[in-house]
Amino acid sequence: MATTLRLYLTCIRNTLEAAMCLQNFPCQEVERHNKPEVELKTSPELLLNPVLICRNEAEKCLIETSINSIRISLKVKQADELENILAKKFLRFLSMRAESFQVLRRKPVQGYDISFLITNYHCEDMHKHKLIDFIVQFMEDIDKEISELKLSVNTRGRLVATEFLKQFI
Amino acid sequence: MACFNRVSPALVEILNKLQSGESLTDFDHNLYEYGSVRYNIQASASSPQIVNLSTWMPPLSPQFSSDCLPDCALQDVKRVYLDSAQVVEPSKQGYMLTLRINFAEFPQRKEDRMKAISDISSLQAVILSSQMKEMLWNLEPKYTGNGMCNPIKIVYQPKEPFFVIKMLEKTTVIYPMRFKDDTDVVLATSFFQELVDVSNLEAHSKAPRCTWSPIPPPELRGEPFQYLTTNGGFVSLEIFSQHMRGTKAENTVWNLLTFVSYVKYHVKCIRSFIQRKMRRRQENLTEVIRSARIRGDEDDKKHQIGGHKNVKKLMNFSRSKMFKKRYEVHVAVVSYPNWTCFLDKGATNPS
Repeated sequence: MATTLRLYLTCIRNTLEAAMCLQNFPCQEVERHNKPEVELKTSPELLLNPVLICRNEAEKCLIETSINSIRISLKVKQADELENILAKKFLRFLSMRAESFQVLRRKPVQGYDISFLITNYHCEDMHKHKLIDFIVQFMEDIDKEISELKLSVNTRGRLVATEFLKQFI
Repeated sequence: MACFNRVSPALVEILNKLQSGESLTDFDHNLYEYGSVRYNIQASASSPQIVNLSTWMPPLSPQFSSDCLPDCALQDVKRVYLDSAQVVEPSKQGYMLTLRINFAEFPQRKEDRMKAISDISSLQAVILSSQMKEMLWNLEPKYTGNGMCNPIKIVYQPKEPFFVIKMLEKTTVIYPMRFKDDTDVVLATSFFQELVDVSNLEAHSKAPRCTWSPIPPPELRGEPFQYLTTNGGFVSLEIFSQHMRGTKAENTVWNLLTFVSYVKYHVKCIRSFIQRKMRRRQENLTEVIRSARIRGDEDDKKHQIGGHKNVKKLMNFSRSKMFKKRYEVHVAVVSYPNWTCFLDKGATNPS
């Protein structure tokens, strides 16, 4: 793994470890409502300052924390048109299957490619460190997958082109 | 999308059925392929071994349109089907060529018979290749005032014409590439870049030179606007005389005709490959989140098995058994406090 990527991921991991101290907290405005405060933003005193971690202009991670929920939004590197299309396709594919990830948001926050929403219920149901591991692995895997796909598309294209031209020789 | 296989699968199926003698009645079947190629297959119950196959297809280039088959194509058909079929003259009304196939004259071995049938089923490829060959070989270049040659429009697939520009030393084939969505455009563009790179390699110096440009090449100047608007750019292949020599000519011509289908098939395969990879990655990630659960998968499994077991129990237990079970539970509940009382008493009073 590149050093910059490792640093970026370590920074995200540490921030998440610090931010993920969630507790059950019913809505202050509406009785018998218990909603993620990071989404509703009804009471400013329940929100923490959002943290933006940037690897470069194209890759960044926004961590928004509240008393009972945390929202993590990612922007994935898209160096060229092919990477852009592959990233879009892959993230759309995952968003459409959000129910199997539980913590994945169906629609990303504006300006980002994919978002996660972790509530106190998720923290009660899952190991906190494993949840953080999942987020970090997700980021690693997306980078890896897009690079691999790009490489495969180009390699296959080269093979097909070679085969096509061979027929003329 | 036109297929880049020479053989028509539908025709193979029909001819196979006829040669096996499955059809005992008179047979008159019309078949349309790719919206423009028409076949008529006729066989009579009295002589099932003889089949008349008629075909009509639009001319490859509107500039050389005629209702009958060009001479060159007719000669090629006669040469290719010398052993397996005869050309009937005049052909059936409304068709450009009629072939009389006699299955009795076919070889006895099954593999050879199949090969003969697949040869006949590639009739369209034979006719089109021969027309294209004629164009590439015998056409005189028509120079315009500014030193350019007039392009010839070739329509192999109705909505996707391409252009042939015949010059003295080479022939340039230009394909305007159009795709349905942006993903296809990006995947195809990356393929074209690879094609250009590979064609510039020394190992492929004998292959046609390939170029790709997002804007129309100067050779197409003056062509109608509709042919010059594309989303996938323009691919040009330069064919030299060495590519048209001997047996290579057949391959060259067919590859040129089916280039667009070849590219589209590649794009389709790449898309399915990406989908497969994404699905695999999703499974891996799902596994990670599943393992993060405090009770893990056990909870789910327990829940599933529990439900199943209860149903099983209900199915297995008779009413008497269920009463007995309930009674046992009741006895246990009743006897438990006494037992604990006794234990407590025992504990308090050791004597």
